[in-house]
Amino acid sequence: MRIISWRKVRFRFDWTLTLSAAAIAALGLLNLWSAVHDRESHLFTQQVSWLALGAAIFVGVATLDYRLISRLSYVFYGTGLALLVGVLAFGKMVGGGRRWFDLGPLHVQPSEIMQVLTVLALGKYLNDSPALEGRSWRHLAIPVLIVSLPASLIAKQPDFGTAFLILAIFFTIMLTARLKVKTLAAIVGMAVIAAFPVYQHLLHEYQRKRVEAFFNPTSEGAYQTRQALNAIGSGRFLGKGFMHGTQIRLRHFPALWTDFPFAVWAEEWGFLGCMVVLLLYTFLILWVLKIASEARDRFGATVCVGVAAMLFWHVAINIGMVTGILPVVGVTLPLVSYGGSSLLTTMVALGIVMNVSVRRFAY
Amino acid sequence: MMEIAGQDAELPEMRRRAKFFALITLVVFGAIAGRLFYLQVVEGDSFYRLTSDSIVRTEILPAVRGQIRDRKGRVLATVRPSYNLYVTPRLLTSEAFARLRMTLGMNGDEAMDVWERVHGTAAGDAAPSAREKERPVLLAEDISREAMAAIETGLDIPGIKIVSVPRRSYPQGTLAAHVLGFMNEVSADELRAKKDEGYRAGDLIGRTGIERQWEGYLRGRAGFQKIVVDRRGLPKPDIHEITDGPTSQPAVPGNHLVLTLDADVQRLTERALRGASAAAAVVLDVDTGRVLALVSKPGFDPNEMSGHLTPDAEQRILTDRFHPLRDKTLTETYFPGSTFKAVSALAALEDQLVTPEERTKCHGYYEIGRRRFRCTKTHGTVALYDAIVQSCNVYFYELGARPGMMDRLAKYAADLGLGAPTGIGINGEEGGFVPTEAWYREQKRQNPKSEGFQVGHALNAVIGQGSTRVTLVQMAALYAAIANGGKLWLPQIVDHVEAPDGQVLEEFPPRVRRELAVSPENLAFVRQALVGVVNEPKGTAFKVRSKEIEIAGKTGTAQVHGRHADSEGSYEGTEHAWFVGFAPAGRPRIALAVLVEHGGHGGEVAAPLAVEIVNNYFDTVAPADKNAPHLGLPRRRGGIVPMGDDASAPAPPRKPRVDEPTDEASASATPKAAAHPKSAPLGEAPPMRLDFSKPDDAAPTPPAEEAR
Repeated sequence: MRIISWRKVRFRFDWTLTLSAAAIAALGLLNLWSAVHDRESHLFTQQVSWLALGAAIFVGVATLDYRLISRLSYVFYGTGLALLVGVLAFGKMVGGGRRWFDLGPLHVQPSEIMQVLTVLALGKYLNDSPALEGRSWRHLAIPVLIVSLPASLIAKQPDFGTAFLILAIFFTIMLTARLKVKTLAAIVGMAVIAAFPVYQHLLHEYQRKRVEAFFNPTSEGAYQTRQALNAIGSGRFLGKGFMHGTQIRLRHFPALWTDFPFAVWAEEWGFLGCMVVLLLYTFLILWVLKIASEARDRFGATVCVGVAAMLFWHVAINIGMVTGILPVVGVTLPLVSYGGSSLLTTMVALGIVMNVSVRRFAY
Repeated sequence: MMEIAGQDAELPEMRRRAKFFALITLVVFGAIAGRLFYLQVVEGDSFYRLTSDSIVRTEILPAVRGQIRDRKGRVLATVRPSYNLYVTPRLLTSEAFARLRMTLGMNGDEAMDVWERVHGTAAGDAAPSAREKERPVLLAEDISREAMAAIETGLDIPGIKIVSVPRRSYPQGTLAAHVLGFMNEVSADELRAKKDEGYRAGDLIGRTGIERQWEGYLRGRAGFQKIVVDRRGLPKPDIHEITDGPTSQPAVPGNHLVLTLDADVQRLTERALRGASAAAAVVLDVDTGRVLALVSKPGFDPNEMSGHLTPDAEQRILTDRFHPLRDKTLTETYFPGSTFKAVSALAALEDQLVTPEERTKCHGYYEIGRRRFRCTKTHGTVALYDAIVQSCNVYFYELGARPGMMDRLAKYAADLGLGAPTGIGINGEEGGFVPTEAWYREQKRQNPKSEGFQVGHALNAVIGQGSTRVTLVQMAALYAAIANGGKLWLPQIVDHVEAPDGQVLEEFPPRVRRELAVSPENLAFVRQALVGVVNEPKGTAFKVRSKEIEIAGKTGTAQVHGRHADSEGSYEGTEHAWFVGFAPAGRPRIALAVLVEHGGHGGEVAAPLAVEIVNNYFDTVAPADKNAPHLGLPRRRGGIVPMGDDASAPAPPRKPRVDEPTDEASASATPKAAAHPKSAPLGEAPPMRLDFSKPDDAAPTPPAEEAR
């Protein structure tokens, strides 16, 4: 067995997937340049290097032997868990939480890559244990274990945004993997009931503040949201033009490059520009789902659905929070947000999808 | 790869569900698109209007600092409006600057400095950007009203702005400078340390005195106002949505402090010290321990210290050999010299080492081993009373030579409040030092070259030299305790705190630190001796005694530590002159301590100043208290002043001496008392009694005695 099969990659390279992802990344770079060129242009240079590295990883993952990925899924997953435990013990304390490894110039956030690794592990499990009758409670024990380990470790950091995201990805996968609708409804019902005590007792003060700010937009904590809304709204139909945004760029705005790039984009490119980005994301997600439905086995299908879910939830939550539909949580916009961990994770995910895509007619 | 049963069967169902997922994606993203359409197209114009060119500007509303007033409500520190002149560098031409310079009366160097500051052309500065040239720069601080009027009306100069700011002001000038202290700009380090307390760059903070210690009470809390302006800085009053949190918060003014200090007493005390280069004085209320005056000379002008000191002025103040910034009443310690003999006498009497009848012959020196301890002169035969009155060292040397005297002194000195801060609470008060035998032994243990404890140390200590160090406030409080019959008060400087509306927030009633562990009889004896110091013809302060007020006290001529032959006769080699006492002796009201640094003899240099303070105090501030009956000089029995007249008698031990002249000194005092006959009918000041520790009603006989 050869680990890399160049021939297949060459002939079946998925240009649609690559180009739509590349287009989004390009718009993201453009946007980042506008946001940082006059103040912190080194962020732009860093992001370009991350993208270059990401592209290499994308090709690398795409050309790995598919079965190798499948076989090593649990190993990857276990490594990811170890990293999460490590970050709780040795991570850098920032803003009351331990979320990063501080490796000199690099800050590595293991919770990002854990999303993909969890998807792999779920894919592997669902592949190995088929269920003809649809899945109900008794089939759920191991998947729930697979997902709740990383989710609770991440929640302990605390990073409830990412923890919630992993749960959302899990439900999306289980839904497509023939989870019985009745079972799903019961789980969702219990989650809603559980949400209240979690909110009351487990959430940190600042997190509750964010939620309250969402329901009461004039309160103090709603500053970010209000500024973001002003920026987006004032962009109007055509936008203020590239590098002409004023609302966010010129102010002190925490987490601008990582969580709020869409507001900059919306102010400068207007409704039209937003539609372009939104359509690109829609196209990319639908394309990944198409690859999923054409996959030859459940591992490929499940993993692709998982990646699509990852993209979908990231985009929906990020834009939802920027436009004031959802409370502010630290969820990045894939391929657009500044930051290596997020970008490389997305690249790994798309590389796996590419791998599935290249081999959909292989067996 | 091995196909697993059921795999193929499951895939079509997954495909179907993936399609459903795709549909959900479309719906959700459609909803987001709808939200964006609403924000950007439907409401876009109103958002655009809201945000175009608008900037939130936060203006700080400074808090008005509380006043500091004296006990009679006279303002010692307040806040006055002042005017600062700002210019926009881009608009300031050199011709306009020349006219401003004339109006403000700047000299060439100042003008040069200001010009460089305005245009950022001083060495080391980068050339200012166009944006910086638009930013107003402070051109002159606290300009006069005349200059302001001239600039606002007469000179038509573009780009200048006059801003009114509250400014700390001390209307009485240098008066009580060390008590009030001064303020200056908060440093970068303090800004970091005190971030939570809301200090901002450029804020003033109390540096010394009351301004420092009571900063939290005086300061108040700054408020702010957020206003939305457009790019040109014009307010856009109708927009509030883009500001964060509350848009304004009013400033809370600071509280006022009312001191126990009396500006009149302070002024007359300062005036009394006018001839001395470096001196200090403390005046306390004997019955409450409250501070009436606290003077340290030379002083400073807190207005000058709190403003922008020129480097020259700063240099002048910091290098002044008389240390104007140092509070010599609290942060400087001195040898008490002979003023300490009151403590030594009390210690000897309490521990019954001597009786008033015991006499010693003074040959002018005392020899112990091969060392010879000098006296001030040859006094002949002296008893304890005479030893205090004439300040005979030999008598006290003999006491000092008794075994254990060192620790006895330390015990009573500590009881009388020496060796520990009095708790006045300003200017980082020093505690002074009272040595013990153990301390000397410890010195030896640490440094083998030191001689350890020797009897000579006790001999020095008993006359207030050696290693004993005290502050003026400690001595004044000690003599006040002797005067009032044994209550050691905490010297208080703040009477109460007032809210800006005049409501009293906190009051500080007088506090007794300790009832002295000394018998009333012994205190009475020492009081009587202190009267003798000033009123006996042989007393060390007799020559400068007051003609009107009977003063009691002790002079001191404290040798300067480390005096060498080469400095003898020079300023630094001259002794410190002390006087500590109270008045009137018959009914003590005030206690005071006066010290003239390197002034020389206490009786000649410090005592006259104390007498002037006392005279002026009872002439101008408290004329009613002047009429206390005179205590007069004691009757002698065979040349000896015994312990009280009838110390064992249940009735008040002392008879009214005004009526029974015993020697020429008290005879001369008699007409004085007779000149104020109204004091007796008023029933004021339980007269003629030295034993103040006994309550009035325990002594039912005074009227009868007076009638006698």
